[in-house]
Amino acid sequence: MNAADLLAALESSWLGTYMREAPFGFVPAEIAHILALTLVFGSIAMVDLRLVGVAALRQPVSTLTRELLPITWIAFAVAVLSGSLMFLAKASGYYYAFEFRMKMLLIVLAGVNMIAFHLGPYRSIQNWDAQLAPPREVRIFGLISILIWISVIFFGRFIGFALEMAPPR
Amino acid sequence: MFRSLADWMASTPISLAFQNALWVIPTSQSIHLVAIGIVFGAAVILNLRLLGIGRSTRRVSELFDTLLPWLWGGLTVLLLTGIVQTFAEPARQLKTPHFLWKMVMVLVVAIVTFLFQKSVRRHKAQWDAAAANPAAGKLFALVTLSLWVGIIVCGRMIAYVWERYE
Repeated sequence: MNAADLLAALESSWLGTYMREAPFGFVPAEIAHILALTLVFGSIAMVDLRLVGVAALRQPVSTLTRELLPITWIAFAVAVLSGSLMFLAKASGYYYAFEFRMKMLLIVLAGVNMIAFHLGPYRSIQNWDAQLAPPREVRIFGLISILIWISVIFFGRFIGFALEMAPPR
Repeated sequence: MFRSLADWMASTPISLAFQNALWVIPTSQSIHLVAIGIVFGAAVILNLRLLGIGRSTRRVSELFDTLLPWLWGGLTVLLLTGIVQTFAEPARQLKTPHFLWKMVMVLVVAIVTFLFQKSVRRHKAQWDAAAANPAAGKLFALVTLSLWVGIIVCGRMIAYVWERYE
């Protein structure tokens, strides 16, 4: 089975057909996706802005991450679930769209950036946790993270304009 | 209700320029989404703390001082990109009831938040000393969270219903 067959099978599956045709298929999934993605971005941005040294400077970084990361992960799970449902509605349309591929690539890069941060400067967090301006290395990780996530949002929104037979934008 | 306004706006040079530049709408919508992330993120973090849900141990007045400037700044960006989108597609926005409901909810949530922010500043000591979460804070949190979700839902619904009202 090649990619085209698999995509066609996903689209013609019961769930794919439902997501494409039912009045309560695509619309609630997209609304859930927006509520979730804004929370993923909002919570990550708050931490990144602290790492860069522009916001919430009175809080140690560890206080912020402890408070915000549960929100990030719950919202991310909802975004992945709702995004997967939207994907089923027109799997091949998404799969071949440049914007969709860029979005997926950037999410992977955000993950790599996060892992590198945890293996790198995060190990010595006790040295800079409460510093008003964290070390340059930390600030660069924060800046890269927020730029990646802003790009994810842009490519995500442009998918809606790129797909043929696109959902209403 | 705003049909004649929509028709007039559609004929203005700025609207015609936006209609002809295909990148304007998706770019403005993307910035709009980034700003929703900041505003909704700030509102959820603040309101979870007021409801006593989650791990936040920050003082209420401190949370307001940290988050509210971002909320107002984000709201300003939302207003500006919203104006761009309304000039780019006047009929889509101004003829759709969901747009009107959204604007009413934005106005209400902005006024309620402004008044609550003033009250927290005035009674800083009581808010920070409160051992349990005060009922007034919980009420504010439930009302504004519902409004923010309603605003986002109506905003997206415009895309699905506007052609019915054109």
